[in-house]
Amino acid sequence: MYDMLTALINGALGWGWPEWALNLLSYILIVTIVLVVAPLQMLFFTYYERRVIARMQDRVGPNRVGPEGIWQPIADGVKMFTKEDIVPQAADRIVHFLAPCVVVAPTVLMFAVVPWGPGMVPVDLPTGLLFFFAISSISAVGLMMAGWASNNKFSLLGAMRAVAQMVSYEIPAVLSLIAIVIIVGSLSINEIIAYQAGLIISNRDLPGVPDLGLGWFVFTPVGFVAFVAFFIAALAEGERTPFDIPEADSEIVAGYMTEYSGMKFGLFYLAQYVLNFLLCAITAIIFFGGWQGPGVGWLYAQGITPANPNGNGLFNVLAGILGVFYFLLKTYIFFFVMVWLRGAFPRLRIDQLMDFGWKFLIPWTLANLFSAALWVAFTRWGPAEGMLITVGWSPVLRWLAAFVVTLAINLGVYLWLTRVYAASQAERRRAELEELSAAA
Amino acid sequence: MTASPFEIEIPRGRVIEVQRDDTRVRWGGGLLRGMAVVWKHWKESFKLNRSYSQIHGTFTIEYPEEQPRIPEAYRNMPILLYDDETGHELCTSCFQCERICPPQVIHMTQAKDPATGKPVPAVAEFIIEYDACMSCGFCAEVCPFDAIKMDHEFELSTDDHTRLTVHKEQLLRPISYYAKIAPTMWAEVRESALKKLQGNVRRRPDVIGLAPQLTEKIAARRAELAAQAVQAAQAAAAAPAAPAAAPAEGRKLTPEEKAAKLAAIRAAKTAQAGESATPAEAAPAPPSPAPAGEAAPSADKAAKLAAIRAANAAKKAAAGEAPATLPVAPADGMAGDTPADAPPAAPPADKAARLAAIRAANAAKKQQSGDGS
Ligand code: SF4
Ligand code: SF4
Repeated sequence: MYDMLTALINGALGWGWPEWALNLLSYILIVTIVLVVAPLQMLFFTYYERRVIARMQDRVGPNRVGPEGIWQPIADGVKMFTKEDIVPQAADRIVHFLAPCVVVAPTVLMFAVVPWGPGMVPVDLPTGLLFFFAISSISAVGLMMAGWASNNKFSLLGAMRAVAQMVSYEIPAVLSLIAIVIIVGSLSINEIIAYQAGLIISNRDLPGVPDLGLGWFVFTPVGFVAFVAFFIAALAEGERTPFDIPEADSEIVAGYMTEYSGMKFGLFYLAQYVLNFLLCAITAIIFFGGWQGPGVGWLYAQGITPANPNGNGLFNVLAGILGVFYFLLKTYIFFFVMVWLRGAFPRLRIDQLMDFGWKFLIPWTLANLFSAALWVAFTRWGPAEGMLITVGWSPVLRWLAAFVVTLAINLGVYLWLTRVYAASQAERRRAELEELSAAA
Repeated sequence: MTASPFEIEIPRGRVIEVQRDDTRVRWGGGLLRGMAVVWKHWKESFKLNRSYSQIHGTFTIEYPEEQPRIPEAYRNMPILLYDDETGHELCTSCFQCERICPPQVIHMTQAKDPATGKPVPAVAEFIIEYDACMSCGFCAEVCPFDAIKMDHEFELSTDDHTRLTVHKEQLLRPISYYAKIAPTMWAEVRESALKKLQGNVRRRPDVIGLAPQLTEKIAARRAELAAQAVQAAQAAAAAPAAPAAAPAEGRKLTPEEKAAKLAAIRAAKTAQAGESATPAEAAPAPPSPAPAGEAAPSADKAAKLAAIRAANAAKKAAAGEAPATLPVAPADGMAGDTPADAPPAAPPADKAARLAAIRAANAAKKQQSGDGS
């Protein structure tokens, strides 16, 4: 944004503004765009989810407000705004009021590091990924505040569940991301996206691969395992259906949201859908190349970039449009998968959730971490690092060896873990039955 | 889907066994299988489906634009039926439905013959509280005359609660309407229902039992009745006075004669009871049985006519009205269509005569009860 503005105002228009004014203007613009886009995404997602889940259940879904019901979220928003705001008498009023803000704020902050297209990242932090996940954990505090301040048993139960779930699922999520970070060698989200240029294989691993923007991590064994584990963990963090235990409406009313009404409830809703959007977006960015796709890299190279200040601004716009298109397409597909999972699977029990997180996902992602290390060793290390096997191998051979070895490890670990996991579940069930029959 | 909407074919004998608690390791394949099922539903849901034996496709009927095809046996709220041609209601006020209705929302009063006060097989007012009816259909099931049936109309929402207390006029629908919404169900009961209706219509005097909103039908029926009465009167006038025959005492009385006599006697008694008020006028009343007795056996109507006269006289006397007049004169005036000099009536008029006798008896009875109180 800064580059484009500089080129436009000082270059094309020749006004010669000072740097600080340009910076200020560009950030004001960025913040405005983010604050407009985030709720719009949320509105769209509610509509999108309802239509998709309806189709999965052989229904039609909302189709009355506007063409095909596209204004339904707006109608819902108006309803939300006009509802009475109720605070329970026994509630802690201040905390009760603050909780929705604490939940919403981090989700909006997370937008700061999400790149929408080439050169279209609001803030290019060198530790973008870390920022993203550090900030996302703050909403757990907000949930606990909501549950506690409501002074309602269901709220408290929901908040407890939410926090337990978030804390335990952040570990596999982060472990699977570390595997990617090991391969890329950077925490910058832009770096991670840039790494995924190429065609099936990243052209950083294998120089000479044509850049079609398809060198996504998901095509490698390490990336695939990390993707699956991360996506499952993302479902748990976003409280999507197989893991929607914190707000299990059939058990604990609405969890921590029970005592909220009107726009405060709306804020929770907003936070949830924005978080879902962000989790889908980060999945798309880290494992599916974000805005990478055929043509974007080439278009961007023609445009105005720090490396190429004399490019054509039109190509920036084209690359941006195509990049945003790819990015949103991937994000929406992931959200579709989230809805699909919601349509397919029933809610887990809290102990099943914990078992699955701690006894399956974490070992699996740990093994994946080992694979990632091997991957780096095979593709990049030389005799200097002590990697003597690959001396004299061609890059293709090294890449192939890395692929086969990591695939073997990951698949073996997966098969072994499922066996062990199934056996442990069967054992637990048997023990439960025994206990039940002993009690009877 | 070319198949007609909402056809259901259920293949018999197909058992789907659901295996639970399957602990075989499937390496997550079960999850994928579940997702495949949902995917198929999603993919197929873009097709419209109107056959319930299919499990895929969208079944939704976009209601206000698209009306649902309602199955015949669908039941919403009860309605009453009337015959298209005659306008006669099928209901006979037998109270079966009122008795069986679980929430007790059916209320009715039976129609009474205004002349005799006797109940007739027809209903005067029939009310169903639609707001509390639970659409169980018991009333329709129990009705021996197939008079009450379950309607298919379901758009009953209203902001006026009292409109949900539905009276007979709003409940009545022609048989043709029911035959349209439930053709096979009506065909099953059609014959017996109409036969029973014929039987009941014969026992309904005047315009009782006609659907009240069919004003032209009622008017036509009234006109018909009036025409019949005029005809009867003319016939009576034309008939030659039957010669006085042998005294009645000598022969066995026909039931009609007996009734007439009874009426006359009662009238006389009444008159006597009223004597305290008008003793002089009551005196001529007792001889009135005599003309009845003198009636010719061939034309026993004469007896009845005489009875009427007697009864009328008695009534008048009891009422203490027109004390100076002869008992016979007011009787003539009352009978109206009966000429004063035609005590013996012709055979065609016998119904009218019988009616008159009954009326006379009633009047007498009423008077009596009035005195008693
Ligand atoms: S349908 Fe049932 S509840 Fe309704 S009037 Fe008939 S018997 Fe009563
Ligand atoms: S509707 Fe049927 S059951 Fe009810 S009173 Fe009339 S004839 Fe009897």
